[in-house]
Amino acid sequence: MRDGRHRKMGWVGVGLLVSLFLLASPARVFSQGRNVRTYTIKNGRMYIALSRHIDKAQLDSFIVQYDLSDLDLPRALYSRSPKSFKPLNKMGWRMDIDNNQMVVISKAMIGLGNMNDPAKRMTLTEDHPNSDDLFPSENDNLLFGFNRFVGKFPFAVTDSFVTFYVKGHTRAREVLLAGSFTNWQNQAVRMTSTDSGWIYVIKLHPGKYWYKFIIDGNWTIDRENNLSEDDGRGNTNSVYFKTNAVFTLQGFVSARDAFLAGSFNDWNPGDLPMYRTFNGWQIHLYLAEGTHTYKFIVDGKWVEDPKDGDRLPDGHKGFNSVYRIGKPHLFVLNGYNQAKSVVLAGSFNQWKPYELFMHKTAAGWELPYTIGPGNYEYKFLVDGKWIPDPANPLFVEKKEANTRNSFLIIAPNHTFRLQGFEHAERVYLAGDFNNWTPGALHMKRVGDDWVFNIHLSVGKHLYKFIVDGKWIKDPDDPLWEGNEFGTDNSVIWIEHN
Amino acid sequence: MNRSLIALLFAFFAFLIRAQAGDPLPVHTHSIVIDPIVTSDSVSCMIPFTRAGNLILIQAKADTMQGFFVLDTGTPNLVLNITYFRNYPASNPTESGGITGSVPAAAQTKVDSLVLGPVRYYHMDADLINLGHIENKKGIKIFGLLGMKLFEHFEMIIDYDRSVIYLHLINKKEAPTYKSAQLNDTLAYSIIPIEISEDKIVAHGLLKGRKLKFIIDSGAETNVLDSRLPNKVFESVVITKRVQLTGSGSAKVEALYGDLKDIQIGGQNISTLPVLITNLQSMCDSYNDCIDGMLGFDFLSLHKIGFNFVNHKMYVWK
Repeated sequence: MRDGRHRKMGWVGVGLLVSLFLLASPARVFSQGRNVRTYTIKNGRMYIALSRHIDKAQLDSFIVQYDLSDLDLPRALYSRSPKSFKPLNKMGWRMDIDNNQMVVISKAMIGLGNMNDPAKRMTLTEDHPNSDDLFPSENDNLLFGFNRFVGKFPFAVTDSFVTFYVKGHTRAREVLLAGSFTNWQNQAVRMTSTDSGWIYVIKLHPGKYWYKFIIDGNWTIDRENNLSEDDGRGNTNSVYFKTNAVFTLQGFVSARDAFLAGSFNDWNPGDLPMYRTFNGWQIHLYLAEGTHTYKFIVDGKWVEDPKDGDRLPDGHKGFNSVYRIGKPHLFVLNGYNQAKSVVLAGSFNQWKPYELFMHKTAAGWELPYTIGPGNYEYKFLVDGKWIPDPANPLFVEKKEANTRNSFLIIAPNHTFRLQGFEHAERVYLAGDFNNWTPGALHMKRVGDDWVFNIHLSVGKHLYKFIVDGKWIKDPDDPLWEGNEFGTDNSVIWIEHN
Repeated sequence: MNRSLIALLFAFFAFLIRAQAGDPLPVHTHSIVIDPIVTSDSVSCMIPFTRAGNLILIQAKADTMQGFFVLDTGTPNLVLNITYFRNYPASNPTESGGITGSVPAAAQTKVDSLVLGPVRYYHMDADLINLGHIENKKGIKIFGLLGMKLFEHFEMIIDYDRSVIYLHLINKKEAPTYKSAQLNDTLAYSIIPIEISEDKIVAHGLLKGRKLKFIIDSGAETNVLDSRLPNKVFESVVITKRVQLTGSGSAKVEALYGDLKDIQIGGQNISTLPVLITNLQSMCDSYNDCIDGMLGFDFLSLHKIGFNFVNHKMYVWK
């Protein structure tokens, strides 16, 4: 603002400034250049100053930079209608300058609530955007993992047993291994000294693990492991994936390089380098349960897995190879015998409308499809028209799209039970796991109790029951917390395995 | 009454309280007793911590509940998450302080013991507060907050690089002169005087000759600056982004992120300090004495940092 642009303006500009000074005092503090677009604070108010001469692209980049899309600044700037400022006015903004040269709007900065309340203060001063949490949930949305050690191979693995190894430090008195699998320092394990370093053998299921070594009391990441996660401020953990999938590409021995890419890594072509074997290429991955599609990229050229017959359309008149882990679920749509095609799509395949063509049967349509434990949304696409599953009473309301998706629970791991309401007629469960859709998860009556089985991911979940239309918290759950509506939500924590 | 007699009485009083609490006496013969309610089996200790985002999580045990507590120097008291201490008897909340009259009335309770490494506190007053929102954001169970009062007899050095906190319980004899061996190299750090005001750490920064009053707040992940400061201050701030945060109730309130340029704290110049800018009227105390901002993780993690809460000094390593 005080960047010397005033000097370039000449007498006309000075004259304009003087008149603006007389007309509206805030103008005194805003530069009048042709490209002015500033966001500042003065006298406890925030000011946005925009020259009327900036083009659409400049305005767009300003809006993106300061995250102002809700203000509809193009309308305020380019429309000369007196009505154009009304929406901003409703949001508490004041028009300070509105002339041929520029628009200046301002708004008083109000407090964020009572900062003496520690919970409020900590929530408001949280890092935005969230930095990586150091306690991620192993079975939450993790689709794949790939180890990246300095040497060619990660820790030795025999069956389920992994040998953690730290090189050197042979003069250390004590080396401990601490990680997500030892509850960190609480059950850190003592490693055994060898000629070249320290080892510890531990049984791990496939999945993602965090760890560090504690060498004579000093915490350190694994220097031989390139994979670590941190928030960029020194608190870093090494990451190890216990793998469960091997991809092998035979031949192509004279190729320069080969990569694997698939639905699990958003088809990133340079992400997963394969290593050479005596007769081709190979890579070990951790893959979550479910159906994964993939291709190889050999010397920059995408190729299907030549040995695998299992494949699905790729939407570009070709096919992707398929890797399935886990048991298939049979999707069935009865009727629609006259339909030409029925496609299954859902959150499990990013709603691709060209991938999962169902097979015609005597009764209608069906498709076996492997998906891992979790809660999913899906629909059928019948000759180009989306319909929810008519045989499935469970659904999730998508208010923004004014539609309903069918709701599927694979491998439920928790039973909600409501006791003491034996005279109720209808009881529903709702929570963060179903977007708080009321009237969707109908609880079953078992004896005098109402029960519902669902899959809950690791971590915290909030829920309530709806008994004959009335929202109540779980009377048998001692954990609950207040919500923004001034009522209470029950709390349940699902621990790591 | 001479000093040794007073010390003897304190020790005896502590013994009585410990006996009431039903805890075994420490087998360690060098137990240090500074105050009727805080004892330590060793004078100095090293407490490892982990982090959720930028919050420091320390394992502690409040009566039978063991788990993570957040080190929060911005809070005066021990705070318990009401979700896990709902059955504790709570006194009626009392209104206190605050010019706006909107200071939350936290219910209060007592814990028989709080154990933090080798340090034990007995019959602690605690505030019962819903920390559900922080748990929801961080995805981890948080039993409570460890506030300033817990450390008022300690020297505390926070080493983010090694993820450890060094604590030393300063007894009355050594109080005038004590400093950790880590502070022997006096060229390695600078000393900044601090005040303890209403159980909060207050330190001053210097911006273009103007003194700014900050609270040192380990529970704040970002630094905060009061939007009501003079225009001269905001000439040194580059606004970087507008954010909409949830204020009182569920209403969205606008706040700004910016970079504060060239502020001096304890003789050290910080060329860029990221700040959240909002109206801090609610933090003015009962005498309408306001703070200008809070220094949180973004400041604390810049260097190794230490506090002597007895002699009111802050050490910032270079």
